[in-house]
Amino acid sequence: MSGKKTKAIISLCGKGGVGKTTVSALIVKALIEDPSKRVLAIDADPAVGLATALKINVKTTVDDIRNQFIELLEKGGAGDRDQVLGLLDYEMTGALHEKDNLAFLSIGRSETDGCYCQVNDLLKDIIGAIAENFDYLVIDAEAGVEQVNRRVLEKVTHLILISDLSTKGIKAAETIFSVAVKAVGFDKAGLIINRVRDQEEMKRITLPSNIAFLGSIPEDSVIRNADIEENNFLTIESTPAYEAVKRAMRALGVAGFNTTTLPGEGS
Amino acid sequence: MNLFDDSIEKLRSFLERKRAADSLHELIVSHKTWPAGERGNIVLASDTAVELGSPEQESVSFMVWTEKCGLIKNNRINLIGPDISEKKYSGMMRSLPFGKVVLLKLKGMDENNSYERHRQIDMARYDLNLKGYMMRAASQYMREWSRVSREAARSGFSFAHLAGALSAIYSRVEFVTGVEYIFVTSSTADVRSLASLGTTVEKRINAMNKMATELAFDCNSCDYTEICAAVEGLRSMQKNKSRLMS
Repeated sequence: MSGKKTKAIISLCGKGGVGKTTVSALIVKALIEDPSKRVLAIDADPAVGLATALKINVKTTVDDIRNQFIELLEKGGAGDRDQVLGLLDYEMTGALHEKDNLAFLSIGRSETDGCYCQVNDLLKDIIGAIAENFDYLVIDAEAGVEQVNRRVLEKVTHLILISDLSTKGIKAAETIFSVAVKAVGFDKAGLIINRVRDQEEMKRITLPSNIAFLGSIPEDSVIRNADIEENNFLTIESTPAYEAVKRAMRALGVAGFNTTTLPGEGS
Repeated sequence: MNLFDDSIEKLRSFLERKRAADSLHELIVSHKTWPAGERGNIVLASDTAVELGSPEQESVSFMVWTEKCGLIKNNRINLIGPDISEKKYSGMMRSLPFGKVVLLKLKGMDENNSYERHRQIDMARYDLNLKGYMMRAASQYMREWSRVSREAARSGFSFAHLAGALSAIYSRVEFVTGVEYIFVTSSTADVRSLASLGTTVEKRINAMNKMATELAFDCNSCDYTEICAAVEGLRSMQKNKSRLMS
């Protein structure tokens, strides 16, 4: 566990197009419905889809800060290590987009050539320090979890693998899981199958035996329409897909959510 | 050593103009302790009563020091604009421009220790750790951004508490013998006036940093030649560096 108060660092991984961003947005929605909980959503996917789903207008990404800082470093105006840390902390706090008990940080797309490992490590340290101020972190990642490890945080507590019903998607989830077991720290992991039309479809696939199955999410017209119309996922009313996401969270055993009631379900 | 004495005089003139306009409040540093928070804490906007010098607002923060007696009024706070604890901030978050200057009376400064000591006292503000108070500073841009939580504001947190906590940190530095503060929250124009005074200070600090951190430098091609020529303290640092290099 990274934080002093952080109960869970949840990272969502899976093949492109399987619905990681949708599920991430619905998890964020479930978590922020308890106003006493602080949630940090991190969009680590260069496509910046989570920002769109949460109706957040991203002004500055971590990579913007990284690039500005490298420019300053090359001009020789960055100062010593402590001054550098102060500047990066200032910029990163400024890059947080806030909506009540939700804060949002976009990682962006790394475009600078050359090796700036020390800068990346400093940025990762600062993300870690920021994370300590939140109860929950939800990371919408690129396909593999190693990217989270390299650019966001050393360790996650809960790894959620997402796939649709396709064999390609499930194979990708298995590969990501096997890489994560070897290379990334996590406490719990599980697989969600997304966009299932009916349970008969589930009988046609073979689930990996070594990954806990957290449940399936039904194909949902409310979610489809929200995607098409770029609606804010945080304002979606209760819908079968949302309820399925909450059940999957419970199945994963996220700390503080092991009881029969999840945030947003009332008491 | 004399690096900032003329800047301190200009700051005094700035304060005198504000006094003449009846907009200067002189306060005394509070020695009442404020509860400690968690290091690096973030006060979210939704929990914030007052935000000072946010990235969207005008902001300036710098530090000047002197060894000369009588230039620094120890334990004095010069406040231009509203204090944090004013009741009108109990509703929505109020975002204000922010100017902050720390004036220090130091002892034992010379051309060998000025850079390291300046750096030491500049970094001391990062040790500030107060419940309900978030501070982020970019010394490269002389900016400082802080937030005071609703709970802290309700409990009466004020600039006197902030200055008290800073003074407690400075008092642990053996060569600091006095501290005075200027806080400006009145208007963007007032913060800009303060920032223009800070520009000279910034150039001198940059010149000092260059001399201290660059192994070799050529005064003939240096951007700070005129600045060094005008300031006695920098001239003596320059001579000292040349002596060490020859």
